[in-house]
Amino acid sequence: MMDSLDALALDAPKHGLGGPRSEPTAMPVTEILPDNQLVAFDAAGVWQYRGLLWVLILRDLKVLYRQTALGACWAIAQPLFTVAIFTVIFGHFAKIPTDGAPYALFAGSAIILWTYFAESVRRSATGLVTEAELIRKIYFPRLVIPLATVVSPMVDFAIALAVMLVLMLCYGVMPSWHIVLAVPTLAVTAMLALGVSLWLGPVNVRFRDVKHTLPFLIQIWMYASPIVYAASIVPDSVRWLYALNPMVGLIEAFRFAILGGTTPDLFALAVSVTVSSLLLFTGLIFFQRMERSFADII
Amino acid sequence: MSMAISVQDIGKQYWRAPRATHDNSLREALIDGARGLLTRRSEARPTKEGFWALKDVSFGIKHGENVGIIGMNGAGKSTLLKLISRIAAPTTGSIRLVGRVGALLEVGTGFHRELTGRENIFLYGSILGMHRHEIAEKFDAIVEFSEIGDFIDMPVKRYSSGMYVRLAFSVAAHLEPDILLLDEVLAVGDYTFQKKCIDFARRLQSKGSTILLVSHNMFSVKTMCERVIYIKNGRVAFDGPTDEGLHHYERDSYLADAPWFRPEGGHHPVEIQDVTVADESGAPKTLFRHGERMRITARYTASEPITDPHVLFSITRSDELLCCNFSTMTDRAKLQTLSGDGTIELLTPPLTLTADTYKVSVVVRQRGFERLLAARIGARFHVEHPVFAPDVFGVFHTPGTWTADPAPHR
Repeated sequence: MMDSLDALALDAPKHGLGGPRSEPTAMPVTEILPDNQLVAFDAAGVWQYRGLLWVLILRDLKVLYRQTALGACWAIAQPLFTVAIFTVIFGHFAKIPTDGAPYALFAGSAIILWTYFAESVRRSATGLVTEAELIRKIYFPRLVIPLATVVSPMVDFAIALAVMLVLMLCYGVMPSWHIVLAVPTLAVTAMLALGVSLWLGPVNVRFRDVKHTLPFLIQIWMYASPIVYAASIVPDSVRWLYALNPMVGLIEAFRFAILGGTTPDLFALAVSVTVSSLLLFTGLIFFQRMERSFADII
Repeated sequence: MSMAISVQDIGKQYWRAPRATHDNSLREALIDGARGLLTRRSEARPTKEGFWALKDVSFGIKHGENVGIIGMNGAGKSTLLKLISRIAAPTTGSIRLVGRVGALLEVGTGFHRELTGRENIFLYGSILGMHRHEIAEKFDAIVEFSEIGDFIDMPVKRYSSGMYVRLAFSVAAHLEPDILLLDEVLAVGDYTFQKKCIDFARRLQSKGSTILLVSHNMFSVKTMCERVIYIKNGRVAFDGPTDEGLHHYERDSYLADAPWFRPEGGHHPVEIQDVTVADESGAPKTLFRHGERMRITARYTASEPITDPHVLFSITRSDELLCCNFSTMTDRAKLQTLSGDGTIELLTPPLTLTADTYKVSVVVRQRGFERLLAARIGARFHVEHPVFAPDVFGVFHTPGTWTADPAPHR
């Protein structure tokens, strides 16, 4: 009787060291150093977590319109409404000159790029705090979060672009080969959004003030960019100052890519590329420097 | 054998100021910065008081070793695990890890409520560092292990908390790291779930994985680890065989305020000095045989007389399950007025608890008003029995009287 009871009473947890490991040679080695040391940019680490990047992007996309009645229609409705309102107010009431293009197309082409930029910065700069639980409990290169949040709004962008093309057909405007320029323009815009977020994100971890400042900042930035008006209405005397806003060159270039018309200001475009690269590069260093303290202060 | 984890003079300093002042705002930093500009840098502000959560911690863990990290709340155990898992960075020292690291500091962090179980398996698996094809390969096994069945395509927000934890754990269980870092995860869920966790850890052990386990549950530490590191006030107080380490820990952890106890107005009318357990004859011991009687003694100091107090001795199992309560009220015992220094003693009936680790806590209430006067967690003790283990025999075991009626049922 005792025997059967013994058998019942657990797979007696008496064990020594586990057997020798089969292949101790191929194991990855991780060195962890104190946070006051400059660590080289860990591109390999980010690459290793590319799967997570992809999954986070997919998650954002899946979650965004889940449990909404209209679903992905929101991605169409939002830019359409904005274009409609702008057209009525700035096009019809204020009669802002557009260098010849129908106002709806003029504003629409800028709005879709701007919306992408603003959304990226908004999600990306606050993304670290949104994922605070993850950061507190799990290790992964934190860069994955701003990267994912800069990529996921591209889907909304693509939908909005399709709507834009339909709108153009309605107005009888055919896109030219210039449209291929939209791709590098979007790429630089993404770089800029990432660069800005790499600076704002870590600051937001420490000071939530960023979250409150951001909508305000984005709005000011919008009016400082040629979205509802053409860059040509800016007086020549302050033109150079105006072009320091990296979105000026990008929006002009994007509008040109979609609608054609006047060739964009190459100086402004050069400024955009330079500023975006610079922000991205310094942002990466800053982010890398800060990320190891995120879990402590978030 | 080569080292899987080498920890060298690790220190972790936290700055008190940003946490304590709560008002974590930019304004403060700006004011501080402005002040720094106006005054000489060296005397700008006194160096903020740093708090060392860990200091001079060094140890090495070989491949295939299973080590428990024990210590009181706030001793620095979890901080240590966060440093080793790279969630936070050390202030001083260095850590070297050889092998693929899997860290489970909490089961289910990263689950998204709006996503289905299926989607969450991929999400959580990736968060834990698994590759997509690896998750796809193990997908069926994960679903089977979780016992979720058809609910797999339902958003996890509709899951019961049990299903949620089961699914999360199943994903984690299929992560096959060389080094596994576990923090208290074995302490969640019911007993069957804990058993499953322990089985999972054993399976990894048998494959030769290195496991570092932070736990309050001495039972799981005892069954899983042959070595413990006892962290006390941020330093290694003991590093060696489990039994010896647990002994040190138990001696220190012997008395603590119940975490939920908040004396009214910070006033302690009566304080429990210590709670000890002894056998029937009064000889102190912590290892009891199944069915032994136990003498529990609480020493108190009362700063004001407490007439007819309501005293409760509770026995709690290592997984925080309350097993029984002995109360002066239910036993209709009238104690003498507590005043000055004295002891309260209880001789229990034969304890038929199953083999596990238990602790005794004491609560003193004012009779009638039922105001809480004192609550302390005291002595730990172990019950030994070769057969009566909690996962098979439940909380207690007493023999019953059996009959079988041979008459056929008609």
